[in-house]
Amino acid sequence: MRTSGVLAAVCALIVAGASAAAEGDLTLGVPTALGTIEGQDSLRSAQLAAQEINAAGGVEVGGKKRRLEIVSIDTREAEAGIPVFDALAAMEKLIAEKKPVAIVVGAFRSEVLLSAMDMIAKVKIPYLCTIGMSPDFEKKIAGDYEKYKYNFRLGLSAPYLVGNLGRMLEFVKKKHGADKVYFVHQDVAWAKGTVGGLSKAMAAGGWKVVGSDAYPTGARDFSPSLTKAKAAAAQVLVPVFDMPESGVLVKQVRSMKLPALVAGFISPAAPATAWATFSGEIDGLVNFLFEPGSIPLATPRSQHFTDAYAKAYGEATRAKLSGHGPGPSYDAVFVLADAIRRAGNTQAEAVVAALEKTDAEGAIGKIVFNKTHQVIYGEDPKQAAVSLAFQWRAGKRRLVYPESVAEGALELPGK
Amino acid sequence: MKVLIVSTLVYGLVQSATLMLTALGFSLTFGLSGVANFAHGGLYLLSGFLAWGLVNRLGFTFPLAAAATVLLVALLGAAVYRLVLRPVRGIVLSEVISTFALGVALVEGFRWRGFTTYDFSLPPLWPGEVEIAGVSLDMQRLGIVGAGLVLPLALWAFTHHTRVGLALRGMAQDESTALAMGIDSDWAATLSLSLGAALSAVAAVLLLPLGIISINTGYEVLLVALAVTVLGGLESTAGMMLGSLLIGFAVVITGNFVGPHLSEVVYLGALVLVLGLKPSGLLGRSKEIEERV
Amino acid sequence: MSREQAGPRPKARRERIDRGVKARSDDVSVLASPRDLAWLLLPRILPLAALFAFPLLGRLTGSYWQAVMINTLVIALLALSWELLASVGLISLGQSFFFGIGGYLAGVLDTQLKVGPLVGIALATPLGAALATVLLLPLLRLRGIYFGLITFALPLLLMRLVETTGALGGTEGMSGLTALPNRTVELYLLIAALLATVAGFRRLSASDRGLVLHALRDNDRAVLAAGFSLPWLRTQAVFWAALPASFAGAFVTHRYQFVGMPAFAIEYSTLPLTSAVVGGTGSFFGAVVGAFLLVPLSELLRGFGSLRVVAYSLVLLGFTLGLPEGIFRFAARKYAQRERVVPLGEGPKCPPPS
Repeated sequence: MRTSGVLAAVCALIVAGASAAAEGDLTLGVPTALGTIEGQDSLRSAQLAAQEINAAGGVEVGGKKRRLEIVSIDTREAEAGIPVFDALAAMEKLIAEKKPVAIVVGAFRSEVLLSAMDMIAKVKIPYLCTIGMSPDFEKKIAGDYEKYKYNFRLGLSAPYLVGNLGRMLEFVKKKHGADKVYFVHQDVAWAKGTVGGLSKAMAAGGWKVVGSDAYPTGARDFSPSLTKAKAAAAQVLVPVFDMPESGVLVKQVRSMKLPALVAGFISPAAPATAWATFSGEIDGLVNFLFEPGSIPLATPRSQHFTDAYAKAYGEATRAKLSGHGPGPSYDAVFVLADAIRRAGNTQAEAVVAALEKTDAEGAIGKIVFNKTHQVIYGEDPKQAAVSLAFQWRAGKRRLVYPESVAEGALELPGK
Repeated sequence: MKVLIVSTLVYGLVQSATLMLTALGFSLTFGLSGVANFAHGGLYLLSGFLAWGLVNRLGFTFPLAAAATVLLVALLGAAVYRLVLRPVRGIVLSEVISTFALGVALVEGFRWRGFTTYDFSLPPLWPGEVEIAGVSLDMQRLGIVGAGLVLPLALWAFTHHTRVGLALRGMAQDESTALAMGIDSDWAATLSLSLGAALSAVAAVLLLPLGIISINTGYEVLLVALAVTVLGGLESTAGMMLGSLLIGFAVVITGNFVGPHLSEVVYLGALVLVLGLKPSGLLGRSKEIEERV
Repeated sequence: MSREQAGPRPKARRERIDRGVKARSDDVSVLASPRDLAWLLLPRILPLAALFAFPLLGRLTGSYWQAVMINTLVIALLALSWELLASVGLISLGQSFFFGIGGYLAGVLDTQLKVGPLVGIALATPLGAALATVLLLPLLRLRGIYFGLITFALPLLLMRLVETTGALGGTEGMSGLTALPNRTVELYLLIAALLATVAGFRRLSASDRGLVLHALRDNDRAVLAAGFSLPWLRTQAVFWAALPASFAGAFVTHRYQFVGMPAFAIEYSTLPLTSAVVGGTGSFFGAVVGAFLLVPLSELLRGFGSLRVVAYSLVLLGFTLGLPEGIFRFAARKYAQRERVVPLGEGPKCPPPS
């Protein structure tokens, strides 16, 4: 009978799923939105790090060396229709079945991240987040340290992004005398927060904010903002978008002949392949890489990451590296392995204490956590992690910020 | 201010043409064969990826790839009828569910196979820009407006002045009489689905070059097609065009004078308004049940 | 056509006949045989017993599978709701519309009135159903296909509305709502709701009113001719169907202490639809069976990401085209009947054509 056949298949699958990973391995869990580029790139970066550690013998735990194994699950949280608890159920399944000793990469969306922190508080394993950017992450840790101390973040946070964007634009103002700015952003929490903070800071710094428009996710026509920006003679357009549809904005800026400098974050314009994708229409666009990875820092460690990634996955895959997630995910695995080594065991309390004392050189720069478990970002890769901005020029991405790593000066379009 | 008004007029037309092209395939299939093709969005997405593949993997020039895509998707539409719809023809529930399942399978299939990266971009058929009274418009969008005028006219001529078109219309008006006249119902349905699929491919190759291909377009397109078609009245192509004009201008006016973040709500507002006042759509001929006899 | 043209006479034919045990257990004499009684009663008692026992086996199943069971029951409620609408001729492609309205209403009641989860759910269920029905009123005058189209679009558009206006919590939703007492209470609450819905809907279908409602799907002109008001009948059907869906939404809000845009997610529309089709349209038991098969299966496929969605949309397609009667009907039929091959004899002797 069909029904009994189905039941038999179901039972077989349950049994198969229940069997655990190989004994003796240290398991690291990666529950994240694997349907997104950031998620896929971060998983690959973590796997690369695990391979390198294993090739050197493994993680040293109290004198013995143990292999690292990365297990992942797709939480699908980047899709608008996926509820938070659905994403968390995936994470719960991963933790229950594979019993990881820690989690890296972590949640994508702010709501999922914040709810995951509660789950981690119950499960009590280290959680090294590299993608979600909400400032509430640090607020929660500050509010109840004992409960949330297992959470750490290596990726860029929204407040840092605001600071970096503001400082870079200050430079534009000083050098080129620009003072009118128009904001265009995605109508989601992190983008709204970023633009809100940034427009306040810039207004205080003498800029005139001539407009700020929010577009719902999936919007495909940006002519209202571009018309108004052109009419108001804005010299700088600051887009903050993380959706594929923002590719329309890139193309529309060119077709509407907006003479302004476009400087901000548009995810489709970040990878190396973007020049080809947009047939060169992005010349002069300034885009942020939240963390190094797609473009490495001039440090040996950072260069090594980029080269090793290309070697492991091919040059074509490396060229598509996204601007957010891969660098810190790679570093997170090493940071964790080092913390386990210093702790001498895999007990969460000891590892957390060791993590707090981290002082390492990673692909993203120097890795030191602040009191609320966020990696400190700054302008000098010898002292902090660094977030980069580049300008597209003649098919290449030229670093223009921060000054310690800049390859050239930021040029206004038409010059 | 003057620039803003000109911009509203120009981009309002562009938006209306965009909506109309998006909905045309769905509306035509429904009008000619009574099948609500919920795979419309999936076929649109498939057309985009197919055209991209032809250009980037097989080295076609874009116009050739576009033409080939339209042809291939037309054949696919016929296949969809034969394989998925014919076994359940007449059972409305199963027709809707099977096309819906097919659409979801297509869209999510692409997502599963990793077509989510940012490098799927199609070149425009008409490159360059023009300037209209101080507002700069790209040629592709101008071409879209042109297509928005030409295509419905061509379709009207087809369904009113060619044998095949008249046969299709006859089948839509009264199936038993058409059968009695020797028009094969299966053939008519196959053709109407094929035509609808071809139109969604045309919309894809015209509209997708404006940005990069994103998976969620699969659902967006279906939503827009539904909203515009229901607004205009299910059986009326003229109503659908009127609906797209109304929604198109409403979206752009809201965007320019109120705020772009409200522009997506316009669809909902328009639907609610029309359904409250005239439930069968603006130009819908669908009588309310009591009047059907 | 002559004998030669018709082709050779088949040697045998297939027929379905009742199994012996079915024939014996069709009347009161079944009470005399414990074996036949068991055949009759076990398929009805065992699942019920398993269902009631499940929440008590918490240590055996683990909290993960309890969560799966909760999901299954929620989808089963939505599938039942879909089934009632389908039996009246209204094809709903957006069960998440009812679900989301119930969910948000529960959230609002909790934050504004602070009545507690149980009272909140009890209030949100009828209120949510009423609100959803009122919103759909204009559609109920029109053909069934409008219902399908609009119910597909409405949840997606409502999601946009919430996102854009930032009302009801906007993109972040309302969180930190009051939780239900404990897992056991949650499960029993759902089970009670499920049984009440199944019993209620079957009662409705078997009643005189139910007969008229079914006639709406089969021949609405006859109903019209009999003097009934079609929109009013449909309104009633929508209201009854919206009740379990609204309950499900309110329940989930309190279960996860959160309600937001994902309450209108397309998965709350596609999963119940697939469950009802897989289980068998036209049968309330079928909808439940479909949910119990599909949800755990899709849970097992969770590790495969979007493949999961592809898989169950292909399952939906396959069942719609290949096994329209659904698994439950099929299984029930096989349980009560068997097929056999009957040999055919020589047949009547026909005089040769002169």
